[in-house]
Amino acid sequence: MNGSTILETTNLNLWYGQKHALIDISLGIPRNKVTALIGPSGCGKSTLLRCFNRMNDLIDSSRITGEILFNGKNIRDSHADVYTIREKIGMVFQRPNPFPKSIYENVAYGPRIHGMNDKKELDRIVEGSLKGAALWDEVKDRLHEPALSLSGGQQQRLCIARSLAVGPEVILMDEPCSALDPIATAKIEDLIVRLARDYTVVIVTHNMQQAARASDYTGFMYLGRLVEFDRTTKIFEDPGEELTENYITGRFG
Amino acid sequence: MAKGFSIRARCRNFRWPRDRGTPEISGPAAGAKRRFVDWAVSKLLFVGALAAIVTVFFIIAFLLRDGYQIVLETGLWNFLTGMEWNPTGRSPAYGVFPLITGTLLVMALAMVIAVPLSIGSAVFIAEIASPGMKSVIKPAIELLAGIPSVVYGFFGLILLTDWIRVAFDQPSGSSWLAGSILLAIMSIPTITSVAEDAISSVPREFKEASLALGATHWQTIRRVIVPGALSGISAAIILGMGRAIGETMAVLMVTGNAAVIPDPLYDVFSPVRTLTGTLGIEMGEVAFGSTHYHALFGVAVVLLFITLAINSAARVIITRIQGAQSIARSTPSGWVRAAIQRSTPYRAIAGTASRITHAVSAPFGRLVHPRTSQRCAFLLISLAVAIVIVILGVILFEIVVNGAGAITWEFLTGSPKDLGRAGGIFPAIVGTFYLVGGALAIALPLGIATAIYLIEYTADTQLTRGIRTAVDLLNGTPSIVFGLFGFAFLVLFLGFGVSLIAGQITLGLMILPTIIRTTEEALRSIPGSLREGSYALGATKWQTIWRVVLPPALPGILTGAILSIGRAAGETAPIMFTAAIFSSRFLPSSLTEPVMALPYHLFVLTTTVPGAATQSYGTAFVLLMLVLMIYLAAILVRRRYSPAKVM
Repeated sequence: MNGSTILETTNLNLWYGQKHALIDISLGIPRNKVTALIGPSGCGKSTLLRCFNRMNDLIDSSRITGEILFNGKNIRDSHADVYTIREKIGMVFQRPNPFPKSIYENVAYGPRIHGMNDKKELDRIVEGSLKGAALWDEVKDRLHEPALSLSGGQQQRLCIARSLAVGPEVILMDEPCSALDPIATAKIEDLIVRLARDYTVVIVTHNMQQAARASDYTGFMYLGRLVEFDRTTKIFEDPGEELTENYITGRFG
Repeated sequence: MAKGFSIRARCRNFRWPRDRGTPEISGPAAGAKRRFVDWAVSKLLFVGALAAIVTVFFIIAFLLRDGYQIVLETGLWNFLTGMEWNPTGRSPAYGVFPLITGTLLVMALAMVIAVPLSIGSAVFIAEIASPGMKSVIKPAIELLAGIPSVVYGFFGLILLTDWIRVAFDQPSGSSWLAGSILLAIMSIPTITSVAEDAISSVPREFKEASLALGATHWQTIRRVIVPGALSGISAAIILGMGRAIGETMAVLMVTGNAAVIPDPLYDVFSPVRTLTGTLGIEMGEVAFGSTHYHALFGVAVVLLFITLAINSAARVIITRIQGAQSIARSTPSGWVRAAIQRSTPYRAIAGTASRITHAVSAPFGRLVHPRTSQRCAFLLISLAVAIVIVILGVILFEIVVNGAGAITWEFLTGSPKDLGRAGGIFPAIVGTFYLVGGALAIALPLGIATAIYLIEYTADTQLTRGIRTAVDLLNGTPSIVFGLFGFAFLVLFLGFGVSLIAGQITLGLMILPTIIRTTEEALRSIPGSLREGSYALGATKWQTIWRVVLPPALPGILTGAILSIGRAAGETAPIMFTAAIFSSRFLPSSLTEPVMALPYHLFVLTTTVPGAATQSYGTAFVLLMLVLMIYLAAILVRRRYSPAKVM
């Protein structure tokens, strides 16, 4: 792999109760690139994504072994502050989940909880983040209207803006387009490509065209294992494993 | 937007937050302060929840312990099946059988009256009424729930018993029938609103599918909608039964209170005595630690068990509804049921039954045109609604017309004179505010802390389920049982005496379970995805609760709190022996003094002071207006922040 890696896992295993959900995952996520994780439902791709910002902490029955390094530091270290980790590694969910507040307050929420109270600075962060998520032009005249009045695609971009506002280095996206129509999906994919100039994006998707269109690297997962990880062009044009080839040619899924 | 522009280039002047310097993700200082706040809040909530939960279990244990004494003294069998209840006679008898019979009879007849009216109203509101009509009738029926029971009792004593006496030519109108009619009126709002929820939540698709086959609206209601909502309707009826069994004051005032079993058993004009009424009458005059005292605790425990049975029945039905919605959950009981349904006898019986119903209804189906039967059915349903509305109108009219005349400046601001026949009720108004304020100050923080802790900090385990069961049990427990607990524990055992503080604590304990439950419901209605969204931005648990979960849950919590205020202000039974005195010229100057309260004042004026009719009406009017204003506030809050408009 060329360039530096920002997130790296070594021999990562995860159990939900008795279920062994992730098996010996070792991979490196390259900095400022889009990495897609593909695979059939239940293969553990969302679980892996949720390891990167320790969202699995919220599930009592989960148990993890192995290492996850973020910029060379182990995020599972007992000294690591989970709140700072999530500040640096943001997440966008499958369904848009804006808070029942105004558009402005949604974006300002993150900076506020991290101690930012300066009104002028907040205004700038909100504007910058909404521009970053390609939403500013659509909402700049209605910042104080409820976020729930936006369309589904706009809500999802608002959620992206919300995660940009805390200044992350990595943005994790868990099937961000699965609840959206094709036009809204195209806008988000476009956005993902541009976000990669400044951020590292990891996206879980069940849509192989999406992975092919929007990502630089792709990892194929099957039954809790990482089967293959390589440049997207390589995975889709000349996969190294037969399993991968069967999946992307639609022979199972 | 042209592709190829860097986002950073597009807003060159903008300093990205991360340019301010990257905080280290690890190290001793990282996030120390908010970790501490988060930890401290969780401990604080834990202490609040623990206090509330210990109290809940303590009340139950206390009642059981003292109730068990009577089993030791008279024997369980003698106590439950004894035919005579005469604790003050020369040879005291402690048989609760007549009391249990009285309770069940009054409840059963009340249900016979209330169920058709309530279900009719529920169907009307959910299916037939136009939106405008619905917006009037629904709150009107909910207002019926807000009228304090002592006001119902007053109405029953002044009008209903009199009417029964004259209409049926009886020596006295104080009877089983009078009690049942009052209880029916009181349980109509409970049954109607729960049943209406159940009917409204039948999926639209079912209704449309039936209409699309050419069924009339009534056929759809009868064959698709009501069967679909049947579990919810049964739960509604059971909850109505619980309401009827727990009622004390209204029943006490109109049933005549003779501890006899009606003879013949269907003699509805016979006086009866209920379990709750017994507690209300005898509690004040009992000696601490005597057999009579233990017998009253025995009565309370019997009430507790009836409540438990009703709660469990309602819970089983409600879980079955939820079970039916989540497919393919093979619980043992589901297995058994499925096995029964597969068995031959079951099939034979079910088959015969359906053939019989079909045979019986088929001729009617042909004789009467569907449109005609729809017209008849809708007429009957409208009639049920009309009856309910007329009842509400009569009660309000009677009290407003007669009560408004009694309202003068002196009445509102003066002290009572001549045992309440003259003078005013100012100390009672202030006393009610003191009692309610104190009760809220106790119950609100504890209740909200408990609910937050249970929902946000604990997983669904055996322990939390046990806690919820205990809270539910207390939530359905008759208010007079709280009165008994307050009297025995606070007044006698801790030596508070009849005092403001004892009343405040008793009322606080009474509304605590309600506040816990409504707050839990409000928190549970906030989707988990919002919490995840907040955690993913690096918020702590408490930041998430405080800024994301609580704001949208607030209307629900507020509605629960306001309804509790209304309930606390109108209740007589819990304060009767713990805090209230009848006629006092003074306001209490400390927490250890007794206080006047509106409901108790009305109760004593009506039952023991002859010639105070004007003052009674005036007091009832003031109490009614106070409580109805509180309920109105709750309805407005809920409407203003209805889920669709939550911002």
